[in-house]
Amino acid sequence: MKIAYINNKPYVINEGETMLAFIKRYMGDNSVPTLCDAPNLDPFGACRVCSVEVALEEDGKCKTMASCHTPVGEGQYIYTDSPSIQKLRKNIIELVLTDHPLDCLTCEVNGNCELQTVAGQVGIRAVRYPEGETHLDRDKDLSHPYLTSDMSKCINCYRCVRACDEVQGQFVLSMAGRGFDAKIVKGNDQSFFESDCVSCGACVQACPTSAISDVYQSKAIGATDTTRTICTYCGVGCNLEVSTTNGEVVSIRAPYDAEVNEGHTCLKGRYAFKFYNHPERLRSPLIKKNGKFEEASWEEAYDLIESKLREYKSDFGPDQIAGISSSRCTNEENYLMQKFIRAVIGTNNIDGCARVCHSPTALGMQRTFGTGAATNSIEDLKHTNCIMVIGANPTDAHPVTGARLKQFAMKSNNVSIVIDPRRTELASYATYHIPLRPGTNVAVLNMMMYYIIAEGLADNTFIDLRTEGFEEFKEQILALDLDEMAEISGVDKELVRKAAIAYATAPNAMSFHGLGVTEHSQGTFTVMQIADLALMTGNIGRKGVGVNPLRGQNNVQGSADMGVQPHQGAGYLDVTKDDVNQKYAQFYGVDIPQEIGYKIPEMFDAALNGNLKAIWIIGEDVVQTDPNTQKVIRALEATDFVVVQELFMTETAKYADVVLPGASFLEKSGTFTNGERRVQAVREVVEPLEGTKVDGQIIVDMMNRMGYNQPDYTPDGMLEEISQIVPFFAGIKWEELGKNGKQWPVKPNGEDTQILHTEEFKRGKGYFEFNAFEESKELTEHAKDYPYILTTNRELEHYNCGAMTRRTPNVEILKDDYLMIHPDDAAKHFIGEGDWVCLESPRGKVDVKARLTDQVREGIVSTTFHFPEIMVNNITSDVHDSEAMCPEYKVVAVKIRKSKGKFKALAENGSS
Amino acid sequence: MSKNLSELSSRQGLKYNLFDEMGKLAQERGTPSQEELDTLANDFLIGKANTYGAVSFYDFLKPENKGKKVYICNGTACLCAGTQDQLLDNLKSKFDESEIGHMTCLGRCHENNAFNYNGKNYSGNEASDLDQIVNGEGDNNDNYNVAASGAQILTAEISDLSEYYQVFKDVLQKDRTTALEEIKKSNLRGRGGAGFPMGLKLEFCKNADSDVKFIICNADEGDPGAYSDRYLLEKRPHSVLFGMMVSAYIVGANNGVLYIRAEYPESVRAVEKAIQQLVDMDLLGKNICGSGFDFEFRIIQAQGSYICGEETALINSIEGQRPEVRVRPPYPAQRGLFNKPTVVNNVETLAAVHYILANGGEAWKNIGTDKSSGTKLVCLDSLFNKPGMYEVEMGTPLSYVVNELGGGFKRPVKAMQIGGPLGGLVPISAIDRLTVDFESFAQNGFLLGHASVVSVPEDFPIIKFMEHLFDFASYESCGKCFPCRLGTKRGHELIQKARSNNYKIDAVLFEDLLTTLEEGSLCAHGGGIPLPIRNALQHFEGELKSYFN
Repeated sequence: MKIAYINNKPYVINEGETMLAFIKRYMGDNSVPTLCDAPNLDPFGACRVCSVEVALEEDGKCKTMASCHTPVGEGQYIYTDSPSIQKLRKNIIELVLTDHPLDCLTCEVNGNCELQTVAGQVGIRAVRYPEGETHLDRDKDLSHPYLTSDMSKCINCYRCVRACDEVQGQFVLSMAGRGFDAKIVKGNDQSFFESDCVSCGACVQACPTSAISDVYQSKAIGATDTTRTICTYCGVGCNLEVSTTNGEVVSIRAPYDAEVNEGHTCLKGRYAFKFYNHPERLRSPLIKKNGKFEEASWEEAYDLIESKLREYKSDFGPDQIAGISSSRCTNEENYLMQKFIRAVIGTNNIDGCARVCHSPTALGMQRTFGTGAATNSIEDLKHTNCIMVIGANPTDAHPVTGARLKQFAMKSNNVSIVIDPRRTELASYATYHIPLRPGTNVAVLNMMMYYIIAEGLADNTFIDLRTEGFEEFKEQILALDLDEMAEISGVDKELVRKAAIAYATAPNAMSFHGLGVTEHSQGTFTVMQIADLALMTGNIGRKGVGVNPLRGQNNVQGSADMGVQPHQGAGYLDVTKDDVNQKYAQFYGVDIPQEIGYKIPEMFDAALNGNLKAIWIIGEDVVQTDPNTQKVIRALEATDFVVVQELFMTETAKYADVVLPGASFLEKSGTFTNGERRVQAVREVVEPLEGTKVDGQIIVDMMNRMGYNQPDYTPDGMLEEISQIVPFFAGIKWEELGKNGKQWPVKPNGEDTQILHTEEFKRGKGYFEFNAFEESKELTEHAKDYPYILTTNRELEHYNCGAMTRRTPNVEILKDDYLMIHPDDAAKHFIGEGDWVCLESPRGKVDVKARLTDQVREGIVSTTFHFPEIMVNNITSDVHDSEAMCPEYKVVAVKIRKSKGKFKALAENGSS
Repeated sequence: MSKNLSELSSRQGLKYNLFDEMGKLAQERGTPSQEELDTLANDFLIGKANTYGAVSFYDFLKPENKGKKVYICNGTACLCAGTQDQLLDNLKSKFDESEIGHMTCLGRCHENNAFNYNGKNYSGNEASDLDQIVNGEGDNNDNYNVAASGAQILTAEISDLSEYYQVFKDVLQKDRTTALEEIKKSNLRGRGGAGFPMGLKLEFCKNADSDVKFIICNADEGDPGAYSDRYLLEKRPHSVLFGMMVSAYIVGANNGVLYIRAEYPESVRAVEKAIQQLVDMDLLGKNICGSGFDFEFRIIQAQGSYICGEETALINSIEGQRPEVRVRPPYPAQRGLFNKPTVVNNVETLAAVHYILANGGEAWKNIGTDKSSGTKLVCLDSLFNKPGMYEVEMGTPLSYVVNELGGGFKRPVKAMQIGGPLGGLVPISAIDRLTVDFESFAQNGFLLGHASVVSVPEDFPIIKFMEHLFDFASYESCGKCFPCRLGTKRGHELIQKARSNNYKIDAVLFEDLLTTLEEGSLCAHGGGIPLPIRNALQHFEGELKSYFN
């Protein structure tokens, strides 16, 4: 035990900690004033306000040292508040105030300004210097929809620069000039709007004054309440601290003690909340009468739904009714929806948006490991040596995890492998980027496994002890023709070999994957290969390794956990099994169907075949986001009765017979489960907008009307019910979720799990299964006439169909979808930057504006689907993953030509 | 100090060096264009702000430098000699005012009248013939005395290169600890100012666990008044290169970087030539002399910033980051250039290594005093009767240097600033008390530093000298730490005000300011400036009285 002294009293030191950390640990956070220090940044040593005196003996000769960056040493005597230190701090602050406006009373951060606080602490009463040169005349920057700056308030602490570098890794901010005239610049001295800023707001949160702030004045103390909740956008699950005044959301900040996001968020989480009370929010149930929606009371809407559902159920049987639940909703709401469909309607026709994103992940990982969820935690990035990111663009789609991955990739001692057709932002920082042709993941992963086996790098001990099926698998892998694989995937064999060796030889290697893996005809097989790669190299079951799908929606993990799929009920229990059926029947108190229900694409097929009478869709815009739009529309039109529960009049809602206005994440309580199985508490920030209802309560109301006795929706009540039927939720209690939630499985005693499969796999042994590459039908059938491959991607500023983000100032940053096209391809078709390009597939045509970039290879084009103006899904195909039926959004055979933009509104089916 | 930027800069190694590229882009117009900087930022994946921010820091890269053709020296020696006003007038007859920039000390302190034109330095009488200079026919040589009063080591002629480098070959034959032990034994202390034992520094770096390490020669001799490094680089380059090669062998570094001031264009050319000689002798590259040791040199030309002489700022500079001072720890020996273990040594320190290895550490230790071993170069400015470069044994009386070697002053002098702008201001009355070594200067409230001597003439107001020091300190402050960024500026303003308006400086405030700089600053720049100021206050109290209350 090593001891050092604070003001002559002995305390135990932690190895390697700074004096500041040491002092704060014992004397409290405010024991030493600081300005340039911040909880999530490296020590910097600029302000010197944290200086302390240090002696080698009690009251001995002292040396002044900055405590923030000086490690504490054994036997040191630290004096935190001696007269000379008090004087030094005061004198430094006096100097700061010689170049700072003294307009505190009218300043945005009055009462929450660190300079003001420190000035108060050190007792400044006057500035003795005569008037000198200042920088008080610097202009404000109000160019950006969110970020603002007023550099006259800047104290040159560099916290914004460091946040942009160390947290987000964007390098938008720097100091420029030197000495007294050094000033913060954005880009090459641009405005926030012109710069390459990604609007994450890390700089705003880092800035101790109002020099950098935001339009919501998130550092002002005007708000009366703050509520900690979970972000509604992606599956990262960032914790948010939402400030409100008079029941209205004012601003959002990120708590530093959040394990998931450690004080960081992206622009969606921090700023894109204005959709919640947008004028276009649905505020009353709507019933379509004579082709037009009319406002109705909840009673009227409920009456109509009840009578219709009762009628279809009795006339056509429960299997003519289906439900699509929403990953945007809470676990409790998803549980209720599947319970409603199964126990009240009496069919397994329940599915969710996981079908069109990570259903192959759940299935593939279940086949290989027995559990279809991330094996490890994001925190494990601190313990890994190698990351393999395949088919994912996390800096756009999972920005907070993306920022962490980018931070990892920038360090030269780390290895990063990116397998992606596009040179994504992460790819440009990666050690190895394998730019394969879309649709050839299986070929490339098989090549990697070939090299690992051939080079003798397989972990035979792990294979012997923990897996089965390897011998046969190995034979098939070694029989592959590598030249053929390289030819198919269009990648350099040597590059793949190097990446494979790097992955296999890293002490710890972690993989991450996204929709570029799953949204393919061989999606499930690819997931199984990623899992096999981990098995083969022993990268499973400990810190810093594993297979980690980057789940898309905030609660897509949770919706699947809660039973939102036609073959597995709550807790992934197989609905076809007798014992499971009995268990559910007993628990729900009614008979439960035992036949597997429809997956989403099968629901549409059933509708088109006249076998679906009613469908209830919660919070999913299938028209805009499911493939082959025209077919989806025809299916909805063919369904007698469509109920859509939504926030906005989406493209799908337009085809509804009844629209029910649900509530946003800010207006309800419950839990979301993030991509690392972390069940976190969502807490009601404001009451549901007048006229709307919490989605869970809507389902409960309907269950009761349909004769099932279900208590009113409360998060604690629902969790109590869920914990009794979902085995891995056994120990989850609402009141015990705390700040950072719990990672399932949670034992009855409340103990949670960061890492899966440490001792054994859920299915016993890890399972190797070889699958050969197979070309997508989309290409074998159409490539000849449609020579380009269209793939789809995401943009940072928008979320999926954009229903929420398009109703926020995010649209001022990104206004429309665009097509990425290689300059050589563009030249062949005389397409210039910003020209309309007509994309034609066997399904139809759309027009998209071109953006020329070598981020895509020749022959490949890529676009987003955030805006209904483009509706790119008019041309995506019907091909699905062979196992999980996830649509193949990532490979669409198209032809391209320059166009005048006439197909931009809505595609015309067939020829033109 | 960004770890990420260090990493990203390191990706291209030393070959495609970010900072060097910025310098190249500035050659034509005096500053890189915005597009060029943005492209560079993309190449290195570091964001436009970082190339913009770095370039804006340096005198010879920043946009304000655009179109500058001639640079007048504004160093302390030229100021005290009083030659520059006339020179500026002369230059204005040939150049537009907007084409005239400044450089802070061209190392022509012995001749003064110094300026830089078209990549060459001119000084003394030769500098007066502007017509010839503009026509490219001017003489840019300078002349100064070189002598040794005792042991002649650093100034000794290197007559036979192969014989000189035989010592290096011998070192390669032996275990690397053998050479290290000799250096440790010699008690050679760093000549850059801090006086840290070189052997210890090498040992720390040797023990650091890394495949990649660097040796850096800090040839950014920015102290006005000092030209000893310039002398060594131009006249004895092999002594410096030798020192780097041995240091590299000891710590296990394969790359040596010479960071040379832009103000010393002749030094760059001399070192380039010396490196070529080593290449011709097969003493560089892979597996040198079959020893298994690989080594290469890289010259990086600085771009006009005094703070780059501070070793962590220098490292940031090589990486193409803004040369702001880093916090320590980590020390460069643990995490330096590109986040790898690095030894940074001053030119003169490195130049001593050959003698130590040729004659044994003991031999060096036996020269000088107990704590300050060996010899030291002392530069005397043009106010001496015999300006020049003198090698003296540590412990030599200062009076001997001033009166015997320097031959006394040409005109009355009241003080000497010894050891650069952060060195002490030694009143003439103190000369007899001092000997040339670290201890004597420290004990008497001064600083040996680089041991450069700038004379302050009797008729030169001390308040003006103080103003110059604060101006220099403020202009060259990197701006990272609050005390230095703000304090040097406010100090400058206080003195300016006192000189120009009948303003009296509040003595308590001034004392608080000096203490804040001294105690609070991150590095020796802000921390060092109070020393000469305090010396002035103490020794010239009478002259300064009227400016304070």
